[in-house]
Amino acid sequence: MTTHETIRQLLALSAAGLLDAADERRVREHVHECAECSAALEELAAVSANLGRLPAPMAPPDLLARTEARVAAEMADRAGLRHGAILAVGAGLFAWMAALATWGVYRLLTGSAGWLAWLMLTTVPAYMAAGAVAVMFASRRRLERSLL
Amino acid sequence: MIDQAANFEDVPVAEPDEIARLRRRDNAALACVVGRYQHRLYRYLRRLVREPAAADDLFQHTWLNVVRQMDHYDSRRSFDTWLFAIAHNAAMDLLRRRTGESLEESGQELTAAEPDALSAAMASERTAILAAEMAGLSAPYREVLTLRFEEGMKLEEIAEVTRAPLSTVKSRVQRALETLREKMTARYQKEDLL
Repeated sequence: MTTHETIRQLLALSAAGLLDAADERRVREHVHECAECSAALEELAAVSANLGRLPAPMAPPDLLARTEARVAAEMADRAGLRHGAILAVGAGLFAWMAALATWGVYRLLTGSAGWLAWLMLTTVPAYMAAGAVAVMFASRRRLERSLL
Repeated sequence: MIDQAANFEDVPVAEPDEIARLRRRDNAALACVVGRYQHRLYRYLRRLVREPAAADDLFQHTWLNVVRQMDHYDSRRSFDTWLFAIAHNAAMDLLRRRTGESLEESGQELTAAEPDALSAAMASERTAILAAEMAGLSAPYREVLTLRFEEGMKLEEIAEVTRAPLSTVKSRVQRALETLREKMTARYQKEDLL
């Protein structure tokens, strides 16, 4: 590839201000001697200058308010989900702790029954309590949304 | 050739304090930041997807994604490029779903739409026609032109937003500008172009 062809490919980037100093200097030196590249660079520079002055499409006046409302609703939704998850975990923990407290009663009633069976009997209600809270919470959110 | 300092020094950008508050999901900070980027982001999206309704929806979708992904934002990076990269992803998803919209760097460009009466009346004929010619380019070309000439981004920043290699960004800028030069010189004599 000749110098002319190499420089020819750099003209657009020069017009866009995207060349490093060394390449920019090579372009300058070449266009000083080459009328064809000089004319092309001038035209590219004119197009580049006008691209920075294009009429900008204006955002609708209510776009900001609509965006804020949509994002606020999303944030409230996420906060609600966190709240629901915390409630469900809390309910599960509470149910489990309550079941743990029945260890003595369990031993008394079942005699020498294994701890594994007792663990199952305490864990299942905990999951059920957490699930019930999650379902109740989801139902309440559906109701709230339908009322909006 | 273009004077970055003169063109882009007054561009509104988010303050570090606002970004920190946005991370804490502060509604007031969100309003400030959305307000600052409102016109820049909307302009970028309009250039990319062209239709006002689609740009409007993508604008809102971009900010929803900003809020969702704010915890992953690295404050050492530029918020501008992070924001525009999110907008880019949303716009590309839309353009991929759209029939008839090319995401390829087509050598055979679309026929430019005629500028509407309002823009022709408000802007000079030259810039209105240039805007119409730009709108006729394929999406990757429109995108690099708006990021460079309207957002004043450097090559590296454009590469970060578009997730394209530097060499690809360079070739897109080069081809897009050459295409516009050919179209404009075909319409006007050189002295009218300047």
